[in-house]
Amino acid sequence: MNLEKMMDLPGAMAAFTYNDRGELQSHILREGTELTPQVLDLLTRSCVANLAIAGMEARGWEAVTGQGGFQPLQGFSVVGLEWSVVVNGNCGVIVKNRDADYEAAFNALKPA
Amino acid sequence: MHIVKQLMAIPGVIAAGEYAYRGDRFSYQGALTDEFARMASILCRANTLSVNMQSEIFDSFAENCGCRPVQGWIVRGANVTVCAVGNYFSFIENREELLNDVMTIMRAKVGDIGDDLLVNLYAKLGGDTKEALY
Repeated sequence: MNLEKMMDLPGAMAAFTYNDRGELQSHILREGTELTPQVLDLLTRSCVANLAIAGMEARGWEAVTGQGGFQPLQGFSVVGLEWSVVVNGNCGVIVKNRDADYEAAFNALKPA
Repeated sequence: MHIVKQLMAIPGVIAAGEYAYRGDRFSYQGALTDEFARMASILCRANTLSVNMQSEIFDSFAENCGCRPVQGWIVRGANVTVCAVGNYFSFIENREELLNDVMTIMRAKVGDIGDDLLVNLYAKLGGDTKEALY
């Protein structure tokens, strides 16, 4: 995943990759942002957890309701007070809420 | 216009609803059965509390980092997306620009969620919220 390209998304403050255990592998931070690599490292661990939970819920929902359309999951986003984190697979981006384009972010995170 | 009704007027919105803290009080419109809406409410409540717990941990790590209080969350499926803002949820199709429109409307109509999430969600049950919670 090209992190520099991710930083071109509207309102992007940070882009990052992480491994399956949630450990931060690489990142870019926008100059002037208050986010730190330490915060990103904590965030990536929650990203892995949230994606796993969302995957379980999607699988369960489809099995119980008979409705399709959730799997394979294409990502998860948490909308905070000032920024949102959008993740999929092993990559994520943090965008300012006022500029956020969630669709563009999810599309950018789709595996090639 | 009520937010659920307003969301349901948008082409591509499958269902929308409102849930309370316990997840067992809810109202909804759209293509869900009562049982599925109940399940959706419980699921949304669980996810909302989970991401709020996470944001409190972030906040203790880096105070005022901009994530707390959490406003909502999105699960992006292959063809369907679930959006939750405060105690409202919507199931939408993955149509171009629909997710951004729905999130804009939900954020604008629900307003900023305060720190007192439990009080906010529990209030939907009615009665004395403070007494019920504390």
